[in-house]
Amino acid sequence: MTQPHLSLQNVTYTYEENGPEAVSDFSLDVGRGEFVALLGHNGSGKSTVAKLLNGLYTPTGGNVLVAGMDTQDSQYTWEIRKRCGMVFQNPDNQIVATVVREDVAFGLENLGVPSEDMPAIIDRALSAVNMADFADRAPHMLSGGQKQRIAIAGILAMQPEIIVLDEATAMLDPSGREEVLETALRLNREQGITVVWITHFMEEAARSSRVAVMYKGKLVMDGTPREVFSQVDLVREYRLDVPPMTRLAHMLRERGLDVRPDALTIPEMRQEVKRLAHHA
Amino acid sequence: MPITLEKLSHTYQEGSPFQATALHDINLTIQDGELLALIGHTGSGKSTLAQHLNGLLKPTAGRVLLDGQDINQKDADRRALRFRVGLVFQYPEHQLFEETVRKDIGFGPRNMGLSEQEVEQRVHEAMDKTGLVYDEVGEKSPFELSGGQMRRVALAGVLAMKPDILVLDEPTAGLDPRARDFLLSDIARLHREGTTVVMISHSMDDVARLATRVAVLEKGRLVMEGPPGDIFTQVDRLTAMGLDVPQASKLRHELEAEGIVLPPCYLLDDLADHLAHRLKGGAADAT
Ligand SMILES: Nc1ncnc2c1ncn2[C@@H]1O[C@H](COP(=O)(O)OP(=O)(O)OP(=O)(O)O)[C@@H](O)[C@H]1O
Ligand SMILES: Nc1ncnc2c1ncn2[C@@H]1O[C@H](COP(=O)(O)OP(=O)(O)OP(=O)(O)O)[C@@H](O)[C@H]1O
Ligand SMILES: [Mg+2]
Ligand SMILES: [Mg+2]
Repeated sequence: MTQPHLSLQNVTYTYEENGPEAVSDFSLDVGRGEFVALLGHNGSGKSTVAKLLNGLYTPTGGNVLVAGMDTQDSQYTWEIRKRCGMVFQNPDNQIVATVVREDVAFGLENLGVPSEDMPAIIDRALSAVNMADFADRAPHMLSGGQKQRIAIAGILAMQPEIIVLDEATAMLDPSGREEVLETALRLNREQGITVVWITHFMEEAARSSRVAVMYKGKLVMDGTPREVFSQVDLVREYRLDVPPMTRLAHMLRERGLDVRPDALTIPEMRQEVKRLAHHA
Repeated sequence: MPITLEKLSHTYQEGSPFQATALHDINLTIQDGELLALIGHTGSGKSTLAQHLNGLLKPTAGRVLLDGQDINQKDADRRALRFRVGLVFQYPEHQLFEETVRKDIGFGPRNMGLSEQEVEQRVHEAMDKTGLVYDEVGEKSPFELSGGQMRRVALAGVLAMKPDILVLDEPTAGLDPRARDFLLSDIARLHREGTTVVMISHSMDDVARLATRVAVLEKGRLVMEGPPGDIFTQVDRLTAMGLDVPQASKLRHELEAEGIVLPPCYLLDDLADHLAHRLKGGAADAT
């Protein structure tokens, strides 16, 4: 049996001693090269899990292993941060330098990358998020969406094995969101980078290979998008929803059409309509 | 009391090497009782425009008129303006500063000079409206909340002032689907009850659901404006601008390319009706 890339074992986390459990007896193994969407209501514990994954928080109970290394063992702290890159909800808190190029370089300096190699690495990372033209601009003067992409470039430059993106697309416009999701999917597909994608957009989750759902600190669902989203009532009970095309499929069935109930994406729905139009 | 933007331009850091013109010559009137959605590519100037509506930013050229009065005149009552035009920022944590959620939401009403009792009542009402449970988070620090909870506190703080005009910069970003649904219904209700709403959003489905009018910014210019039905049928033009259309418009457009032509629509419910009609009606025609 191969070792999971990320392993949360009966993890509990409380922000204050004897306080409420933000994460509660949570167990999840993520294999190398998986793309997992982590969903859950506001306050369900997703961001806490994200911070447990790169050792920013250490569990109150249980263990978190990153590539087999326990986050509680301080000798691994640096190694874990290097292998597991994080992009958080608010890009402002991640920007450290006054010029975009330097901001992206920040992590590289800490890794000891020779300075002559840096410009090429930085340019590649900025191109991957379509921000190459902004290399010499001041990050604090960029719009929200632009800042978010710089933060992602900073992580990409460090070439981590695992990337955890905590609502990294929440503030992006539709094309920016698509670019970032496409970038993450491509890094996952082509370089085998393990991705944990935290989101409130069900249509993004529909494109992952695995969906994990949290509810009040606990893991309550885990499966392929089709397995999870076909359980419409349960998903709604957990304060989530199904992707828009799954909703449309249900509306069509209510109107007496024999559409597959588990359609997830626009291409799938287009196929279904074509099939029915042929029969009609 | 309509707000009129008259030849409004805004240049950040004028005269410095970082000078950037975010808005160019905008002419736009926000009518009483409308729900205007402002959409546009990232960096197109939406947040900059929003911050002119309550005087937080001043135009570098042009004027902002409220009831025909220039809000940036020396003798304008800027304090009253902040109460009449409530702005919820794109990043709510920029708006939060008090030590408890209760105090944070009560800050505006307290500043308006309401009695402690009235303030408390407004805090309770606003928390109800935004789905925050007083006993759970009232005494918590706003900075100990999750992202979505913080957003609700920022919104509650503005609602508590009962503004005539509500300006929401990406109000549903970071909200879970149920909270999003809840908030959108609430915005719709406030709008029905007479509040004028300006909503900035990257979510075309949210815009489709609520807006009575849509304005599109591109690189600081107002390039399209009209009812959602007129805007969201221009799929290719919006896509070329890096924008999106509601899921229903997108599927309808893709089906059209396959020769399945349906009447224009941008809401899933309407699309379902058209599809049902077409696919069942088609069967009837064939026989
Ligand atoms: N710094 C903190 N101090 C105390 N409690 C906290 C802190 N951060 C989060 N919490 C609490 O922990 C719980 C989980 O929060 P977390 O941020 O992990 O949720 P989330 O699933 O990421 O939510 P969202 O979708 O709103 O971002 C919530 O009840 C929250 O109020
Ligand atoms: N404080 C500032 N100083 C200089 N330039 C700025 C400042 N704030 C914004 N800008 C620039 O002004 C332009 C418009 O920014 P604005 O924040 O209004 O865009 P936006 O449409 O709200 O974008 P987003 O969808 O990403 O939130 C952008 O090019 C941005 O880089
Ligand atoms: Mg979070
Ligand atoms: Mg903005």
